[in-house]
Amino acid sequence: MENIFVNISGSIRELIGVLGLPPLFNEAVMITVKVTGILLFIVLNALWLVYMERKVAGYIQCRYGPNRVGPKGLLQTAADISKLISKEIIIPSGADKILFLLAPVLIFTPPLMVFMVVPFGQNMAAVDLNIGVFYFLAVASLSTVIFWIAGWASNNKYSLLGGMRVVAQMISYELPMVLAVLGVVMITGTLNMSDIVRAQENLWFIFAQPVAFLIYFIAGVAECNRVPFDLTEGESEIVAGPFTEYSGMGFALFFLAEYTNVMLVSFMAATLFLGGWLAPFGLTIIPGWAWMLIKVYIMIFLFMWLRWTYPRVRVDQLMGFGWKVLVPLSLANIFITGVAIKVLDKMGW
Amino acid sequence: MFGSGLLKGLAITWKEMLTPKVTIQYPDEIYSLPDRFHGRFKLDKDACISCGMCVRACPNNVIKMETETVARKKRLLKYVMDIKYCLFCGFCVESCPKNALGYEKDFELAQYKLDKVPLVLVDEEPLPPEEKERLEAEAAQKIAAAKAKKEASGGKDKGGE
Ligand code: SF4
Ligand code: SF4
Repeated sequence: MENIFVNISGSIRELIGVLGLPPLFNEAVMITVKVTGILLFIVLNALWLVYMERKVAGYIQCRYGPNRVGPKGLLQTAADISKLISKEIIIPSGADKILFLLAPVLIFTPPLMVFMVVPFGQNMAAVDLNIGVFYFLAVASLSTVIFWIAGWASNNKYSLLGGMRVVAQMISYELPMVLAVLGVVMITGTLNMSDIVRAQENLWFIFAQPVAFLIYFIAGVAECNRVPFDLTEGESEIVAGPFTEYSGMGFALFFLAEYTNVMLVSFMAATLFLGGWLAPFGLTIIPGWAWMLIKVYIMIFLFMWLRWTYPRVRVDQLMGFGWKVLVPLSLANIFITGVAIKVLDKMGW
Repeated sequence: MFGSGLLKGLAITWKEMLTPKVTIQYPDEIYSLPDRFHGRFKLDKDACISCGMCVRACPNNVIKMETETVARKKRLLKYVMDIKYCLFCGFCVESCPKNALGYEKDFELAQYKLDKVPLVLVDEEPLPPEEKERLEAEAAQKIAAAKAKKEASGGKDKGGE
């Protein structure tokens, strides 16, 4: 069970190898298979997460949530998506047509690119990049630009305000996020995600770096634009922010991208702080990739739980909290971590 | 402590999530309606005396009634309630002197077609003229007989006084 996906990939590679084609072609086929696999994973998960979100919301609000379409309402999201696909895409007359249509198409690209380095299990990263963490932070922040494109191209004041809020919020919270991750990187001395997971063999970094985890988590919520930091689409203030003018599939893509981002942040949290595919208490009967998924889903549930508990904060509170609390806190964390590493080094740990 | 309110909020939503849900799954389960529920109307045709009190009581002119008079008796031909204007206030039911009008425990009054909305409680053809004449004649005979009887006994009564 542990190596089921690795074995599948190996047998596909062998199968192509039998054909005796040039190695470049073999690599191309392997990459295509991996991308397709990840894409399938993302889309299925996004569909499931929308359903899960509505279920969690329902249960927290003392209702059942969707339970009509399909068994237990499982096909609800599929029905919603097919409805959205069949809808007309309305382009506002003053909009920048090319950018307006480009934004929802591009919105899936950064998360998909980042997923290439996520270690789903032991030896299960599509690309085992030695600067994985850096790559993640760099590529994930590209989303900001796409939200901004959407807000700008709509030619609508709500969209523009929403776009500006996205930029302000994402840039403000990227800083503490990066600084929090730095604490982990300082301990391990590597940017390779698989190596970071292996370094947690004895102690998960959530225990070694609790403050960093907290900062990462808060900044992650803000990066995903989720409640209580969902100012970008605060419906009582600016309708739906950058998505105001989008209809049909354009809107659906933004919606699914939000869940993909949530998944991504959860995957990173599981990798950096929760020991990735490592089994706690020596429970190795459950394969590593399943542990990874369990941890990711616990994180995702936390996100949802927060969403249905807290009200939205104000813009000034958001900015103040980011710059006046999280950034100094993460800097202090780095300082203390550095000192601790040096001291422990001298003590001969 | 700073942040304890946040944890308290989380604790509340967690507890709420685990409490049993009480939503009634409508088409599968139907809530048992109370006895005095104002639902679809029913009319006891034989008890109704076509007095028109219900028509007059209605604040929205929901009830349309047509009658014909046969042998000095009103006979109900049409009793239609245009339910889309009805408030279910119950004035019509309250005002009925014979308790002919009442409710059923049925609230599923929605229709696909607008012309299906009015509730037709009575829809009868007027009596054919021959039948009418026959009944009138019968009634006239009865009255005459009664009169004769009264006269016959009337003398006696006077005598007794
Ligand atoms: S319930 Fe009220 S509104 Fe409806 S028919 Fe009777 S009197 Fe009119
Ligand atoms: S008030 Fe009652 S008896 Fe009179 S017409 Fe209406 S239903 Fe018939």
